[in-house]
Amino acid sequence: MTASVPASAPATTPQVARPTNRIVASPLARRIAASKGVDLASIKGTGPHGRIVKRDVEAAESKASASLPSHAQAAAPVSGGGSRSVPHTTMRKVIARRLSESKATIPHFYVSMDVELDALIALRAQLNALSSDEGQDSFKLSVNDMLIKAAALALKQVPEVNASFTEDAMILHDDADISVAVSLDDGLITPIVRAAERKSLKQISQEAKSLVSRARAGKLKPEEFQGGTFSISNMGMFGVKEFAAIVNPPQAAILAIAAGKRQPVVSGDEIRIATVMTVTLSVDHRAVDGATAAKWLSAFRSIVQSPLALVL
Amino acid sequence: MSKQLSSGVAHLLKKAKVPVFNGYGKLDGTQANGRRKVLVSQDGAAPTTLTAQHVILATGARARVLPGLEPDGKLIWSYKEALVPEDMPKRLVVIGSGAIGTEFASFYRNMGADVTLVEVAQRILPVEDEEISQLARKAFEKQGIRILTGAQVGTLQKTATEVHIPVTLGDKTETLVADRVISAVGIVGNVENIGLEGTKIQVDRTHVVTDSLCRTGEPGVYAIGDLAGAPWLAHKASHEAVMCVEAIAGKTVHPIDPTKVPGCTYCRPQIASVGYTEAKAKEAGYKVRVGRFPLIANGKALAMGEPDGLIKTVFDAQTGELLGAHMIGAEVTEMIQGYVIARTGELTEAELAETIFPHPTISESMHEAVLAAYDGALHF
Repeated sequence: MTASVPASAPATTPQVARPTNRIVASPLARRIAASKGVDLASIKGTGPHGRIVKRDVEAAESKASASLPSHAQAAAPVSGGGSRSVPHTTMRKVIARRLSESKATIPHFYVSMDVELDALIALRAQLNALSSDEGQDSFKLSVNDMLIKAAALALKQVPEVNASFTEDAMILHDDADISVAVSLDDGLITPIVRAAERKSLKQISQEAKSLVSRARAGKLKPEEFQGGTFSISNMGMFGVKEFAAIVNPPQAAILAIAAGKRQPVVSGDEIRIATVMTVTLSVDHRAVDGATAAKWLSAFRSIVQSPLALVL
Repeated sequence: MSKQLSSGVAHLLKKAKVPVFNGYGKLDGTQANGRRKVLVSQDGAAPTTLTAQHVILATGARARVLPGLEPDGKLIWSYKEALVPEDMPKRLVVIGSGAIGTEFASFYRNMGADVTLVEVAQRILPVEDEEISQLARKAFEKQGIRILTGAQVGTLQKTATEVHIPVTLGDKTETLVADRVISAVGIVGNVENIGLEGTKIQVDRTHVVTDSLCRTGEPGVYAIGDLAGAPWLAHKASHEAVMCVEAIAGKTVHPIDPTKVPGCTYCRPQIASVGYTEAKAKEAGYKVRVGRFPLIANGKALAMGEPDGLIKTVFDAQTGELLGAHMIGAEVTEMIQGYVIARTGELTEAELAETIFPHPTISESMHEAVLAAYDGALHF
């Protein structure tokens, strides 16, 4: 009964692997943090000019062990069950830091909507049939490629969502640079399809494919995963019913795409069968209000359900 | 020289347009608007009333007086008289071997007096690292100072020109005879007659109780320096003064950590230290790494004819934190700041090991003492 939506970019929560900002900390604070597994990026320094000093690390560490009894347990297993500690990769540290920062500093809210996919799937089949069998011109559009374009077009229609909140002003972005969350063995990364609203589906598809394969090979250039104005995280291929993602700062919103599933739909007085997916927009409330988020989702739904706009 | 420096300070105050009222100040409650009143009286004249939002108490401390050992300014001196002697004593007994007692014992011995240093604790300079105390004792004894530790002093008997000092060591009592006695048995805070009575300002064993920002129990009243507690050092008082005023002015300040305040004893050889002694570090639960470098292995110290001395470092074996540094020898009071910077900047043994010290200087020994803690001393 379940018809999973195929997608080229399987992913979970998005993450931009930026190089860590310079952290001002004393050598001793750094060493203690390293030995106790305390993330310096999560600490506010109380030394001169906000420098992180020993007492800050110790305070953070005692706070962490007080609030997380399991932490101490993990460090020193009491029962015979055993456990082992796996040192963090740089990516894991960045993921941990950036997502903690996002959840801690961005007031999130979530808006969900059901979107019918049948028209889009039909269009995809038609378009894919146009592809030559092989060679440079061959292509195979995924549903995800089409959703990237749909999201980009929706951002042009509701540009308030294509924004970044800063303390002084709202930054409104001209291009819809779509960060696409890609899962990796040891984490995830969000390569960017730039100015997706201006690209053809074929271009988007080829670009996304190249980005994903190079992301998995660890060969992305920094500019290919840094920046972006909006994120998409697609877990459709895992059959999830719905989920909410964490905003990828400094972006204002991220779209979580769940699996498309054939299900009964009431339209007028009729019950019919349609392929429906639930999408959830997570939004930075400082940048975007509820009505705007709903407006964006409606625009997105209209484009997906009447997908000819995607090929215009 | 002292006069020159103090008139320099007076000039600076004038330049900064700070009005100075000479006299005895005393807190005198508050006005209706919450400003504090301070009465300043001098020579029995009617007191002047000053008012201020903030009042900093800095009345300092004076020599502690033990019964039977009261300074009379003639035969029995406190540090005050000892600083400005009318004549040079032939036989001097110094009671108390803290920094003050040790400095006077060393000074008067160097001036040619027969000096006996009497200490109730089991070693001289009891707050310093034990090894440093031992080396100091050895150096002083070599210079001819007689040192009695674990010694109880009885009631002094004075004649017209000399003092008899009964000293008990274990089960033996000996009577020392001296022309002058210096009583250096500690200090007490000047907490009297400054209007603390009836306020919320707490006094603990003659010192005003303050928090880390020098605040007393009474809002708007602060205390700094010797009045406010250990360590009794001018540079600590001066730093507190700056910090206290900056805090009042709304600046971000950092409380003083006593383990980052250097202590210097200006005897010969000099003694300087910062942070934990080896024993205190162990007591505090640290697993330590200790480095030692004797000055006899240092070219500059040898060339200066001052080969007696030791630089000792105490590191936290776990984190590489420089917990303490202890130095005895030539010029060490000029060099301790290197380790103080290391402690204040939270450097570890790695940064200190990578620091290039100039050659030929005594300070190279500081580098070696760091390397020695990690089994890497080059020249010893």
